[in-house]
Amino acid sequence: MAEINLCNSAGRDAVVKLQSLSTPLRVRWLDPEGRQVGTARMIKSSIHDDLEALVEKHGELRSVGAALRDGDPEINPEIAGRLLQETSRVYIQRSRKIVHRIQEWDVIRNPDGTERERRVHAIPDANVGSGAAPLKWSGVMIPKSEAIRKFVFVQKMQLAHINGLTYDFLIGMAKELESKDCLLLLGAGPKSNQPLVLRRNSMPYRGFLEGRTRGETYRLTLHLSNLELKAPEVQEAAQAAAEEKSA
Amino acid sequence: MAKPLVFQWRDRQITFQMAKVDRARLYGFKESEVLDDQGQRCELATLAQDGQTVVGRGGTAFGTLTVDGTWIEKGQLRPVDPAGQTIAPVSSSFAAPVPLVEQASVEDYLDCAVRSVYLMETPDDIGPLADELKQGTIYRFAYSFRGGLEPDQAFLLANAEGKVFCAIGKPAKVEFLGLAQAAAAVEDEETESEEDEGAIDFSMM
Repeated sequence: MAEINLCNSAGRDAVVKLQSLSTPLRVRWLDPEGRQVGTARMIKSSIHDDLEALVEKHGELRSVGAALRDGDPEINPEIAGRLLQETSRVYIQRSRKIVHRIQEWDVIRNPDGTERERRVHAIPDANVGSGAAPLKWSGVMIPKSEAIRKFVFVQKMQLAHINGLTYDFLIGMAKELESKDCLLLLGAGPKSNQPLVLRRNSMPYRGFLEGRTRGETYRLTLHLSNLELKAPEVQEAAQAAAEEKSA
Repeated sequence: MAKPLVFQWRDRQITFQMAKVDRARLYGFKESEVLDDQGQRCELATLAQDGQTVVGRGGTAFGTLTVDGTWIEKGQLRPVDPAGQTIAPVSSSFAAPVPLVEQASVEDYLDCAVRSVYLMETPDDIGPLADELKQGTIYRFAYSFRGGLEPDQAFLLANAEGKVFCAIGKPAKVEFLGLAQAAAAVEDEETESEEDEGAIDFSMM
């Protein structure tokens, strides 16, 4: 169960549930007998039968074409069509052998593709769970109508109580946010200005907490954003250049 | 140039070119480079459950199977909704002008998990529409790129600078929770000022 450890405006902290919001299945596919079908991931070819392997074996693409015409060198009946389940990620060398010791680097590039920075890959730890310090009530309230014009909310999660005490904790928080018609900026770190990392090595997001109530029920939604609602500078520069040219 | 999206707004048609906005275009992007002991680049592959078969890029495919595990072609299948009713396909949003009539609330928009965002550019004079969007109006419409079974939800809105964007996604279902469903206290330090709020740095992530 995913959890989040956070404080309310009075500085009291609690660990509550953090639930993913999945989109309900709206289309089902039926076979001619009216039974629901499913999809499966399967193997087409292994690294010993793929194009690179065939080029290595036959010498050039023309020869590979001839081999494909005369036979089925790309199909290994022992492997092709086998279902893929419980797979692992591995790295392979050019010689197609599995590598057991790797160095992972992140190459950071600017929007135009030029290299900005090169650094050893770091794995960020989760900073919202019960093992992390409570996320503070930042006090930074952004009116909803303003927030939607500044940020793109690409993912949502719902906070849920785990007992009566946390029900009171969360409904109080939802009422407070609803009365202000604002989203609360939710961040990690002592100043609440660090992005949220929900799982180890996952994408960091800015968090915005929204509260709504209906009678004695509540919904607290954590809107996650990693994108601002603004035009790319490169595009703006290209547009300015085009306008200048047409003038 | 990509086909434009045409809206029917009041008594006029407005043509927009859609330019995708994403993290790579705004802040740049990150490439992962994996090296072996000798400093040679390595490629990501998939190891099957037998612990021996290694599958490279493009070596897998998705297939459709019946409940008894038999392969079946997609052309033999029939799409239905959760109630079992046959679904009528929708046409592409680029096939005909899209009526821009339904206004959405801020809450409607917040209930949508946005998957992609486009900057909407037009050579037309859209003064009255732009003014309306700047004042906070949000239009909602059904959007389908190719046409298909399930259109996405799309919203037309303006950002703080008045630029027009289209956000596309799916509605997220957030339930209201009641009581039956379902460390040490930390003092607040100084709250962020408005200046700090404006300085949220998205490129650092």
